[in-house]
Amino acid sequence: MALAGDIVNAPTPVAASVDSRPKVEVDISHRYGALKVHEGVRFGVQENEFLCIAGPSGCGKTTLLDILCGLLAPSVGQVLIDGERADPKRHNISFVFQEPSTLPWLTVWDNIATGLRIKKQPEAQIDAMVADIIRTVNLTGFERYYPHQISGGMKQRVAIARAFATQADLVLMDEPFVSLDQPTRERMQQEVLDIWQHHKRTIIFVTHNLEEAVFLGDRVIILSAKPASIVADIPIKLQRPRDPLSIEFTALRAHCVRLLQEVHVKGGGAATAP
Amino acid sequence: MTIKMRPIALNLLSLAVFAAVWQAGSMAVGSPFFPAPLEIVRAFLRLAASGDTQGTSLWIHSWASLYRVLVGFAAGVLLGVPLGLLMGLYRNVYAATRSVIEPFRFIPPIAWIPLAIIFFSGLPRFAFLIFLGAFFPVFTSTLVGVQRVELVHRKVALVYGASRLYVLTHIVVPTVLPDILAGMRIAMGAAWLTIVAAELAGGTNEGLGRMMLNYSELLKIPEIIVGMILIGLIGFVLNEILLLVERYLFKWRWQVTL
Ligand SMILES: Nc1ncnc2c1ncn2[C@@H]1O[C@H](COP(=O)(O)OP(=O)(O)O)[C@@H](O)[C@H]1O
Ligand SMILES: [Mg+2]
Repeated sequence: MALAGDIVNAPTPVAASVDSRPKVEVDISHRYGALKVHEGVRFGVQENEFLCIAGPSGCGKTTLLDILCGLLAPSVGQVLIDGERADPKRHNISFVFQEPSTLPWLTVWDNIATGLRIKKQPEAQIDAMVADIIRTVNLTGFERYYPHQISGGMKQRVAIARAFATQADLVLMDEPFVSLDQPTRERMQQEVLDIWQHHKRTIIFVTHNLEEAVFLGDRVIILSAKPASIVADIPIKLQRPRDPLSIEFTALRAHCVRLLQEVHVKGGGAATAP
Repeated sequence: MTIKMRPIALNLLSLAVFAAVWQAGSMAVGSPFFPAPLEIVRAFLRLAASGDTQGTSLWIHSWASLYRVLVGFAAGVLLGVPLGLLMGLYRNVYAATRSVIEPFRFIPPIAWIPLAIIFFSGLPRFAFLIFLGAFFPVFTSTLVGVQRVELVHRKVALVYGASRLYVLTHIVVPTVLPDILAGMRIAMGAAWLTIVAAELAGGTNEGLGRMMLNYSELLKIPEIIVGMILIGLIGFVLNEILLLVERYLFKWRWQVTL
């Protein structure tokens, strides 16, 4: 049986053979002035992998995503996508931000089309893709609404639809469900899994909710507090659809919770992996 | 429809009450220095039909003033918006030039009249003074509006590989547009304040301010009041037009939540 037994406690990226070079390769350290945020964060992400990253709040998860998409240059090191330095002009990257990010002056439809328009896709293709993704996230009938006319959960769905409308090499999601209530959050998690299974994408999903991480991820990376480094890199080999109440799931989640607790107990000193 | 009829009816009622109180006051005082509303109407009809003492019609006076206002106003907007955007986006340019720019704001356009009389004549004189009144409201509200652009909205565009120009036209401008329009409405008010004062200072035979001054010298109060009412009305209509534009452009803010 391939489940909880496969836990690995060391930050060894999966990739080993030459032909499976990771889609994304990260090896960075970052500081804001005197504030050390990341110290030797190194990992790879395989194509179409769903990677979850968890860590205490303020440990630099959002900063890491900014670096991953090339909006922020790391103090040391680099991020490679398909072997090239990450660059939003060259790579197809999308981002679901932590804070509300729908553009209030655009309708639901135009919000979702934003990425495709910037990428200068042909209009006919934009129409087809937006229509398709609107069906997937259940926003049919709301195309002409403005963000202030729909609920917070729907706005977040618009942001997610926008991120999945482009043929992104890499989708970054920054605690996208924090502001949602529990039932909505569960439905959205399911929707993201559905989209991911229908339109294969490489996803890096940041959360501080370990149940969410174990439910969604092919793999969970746990970061220490500032200066952050990787404490654990745990493959989640539970079969999908996953049952959060199953013994295997609960065990895996408990394991992650314990790791994160250790990080908290050791505080900033947990820079070196166990 | 029923919802919109009520305020209209109430406003008509208010106007009627206002006119009645005026009429009563005028009758009570019974002096030529307190003309009744009806005399104002008569003066208006006279001015509209046969013009003033020199035969210049009311419409020529109104249009002269309006035209000057529109030219100066347009200049204020055309300079205020780009400069506001530039200084808002490059805060250090503003920070470095602040001490030069800001004191000008506190010189009322009227205080420029003596200089304007020396340097300009005709349309440029009035347009220059109106420009001074219109520029700062537009410039300042644009400058402040740029600060409202949310970082996350910029990131939305940048992460898909948008250029700086795209961010400017698709993120910054839509965010700032409501502030620009609000600044334009303030500027329009300031423009009317300035045009009357500028026309009173002379150098023209046309314009509502000029017309009022002529009748002031003749002690003809009804004609002066006609000029005042027209200035108020034209300003009101211009403001309403700008409000309509706002409502149309900013459906995303005005529409009632469903
Ligand atoms: N632009 C910035 N300048 C300086 N410090 C920053 C900036 N952005 C974030 N920080 C700091 O870096 C640390 C990590 O922030 P962040 O990446 O937002 O953490 P997380 O997303 O894990 O909560 C925090 O201590 C935060 O205060
Ligand atoms: Mg964060």
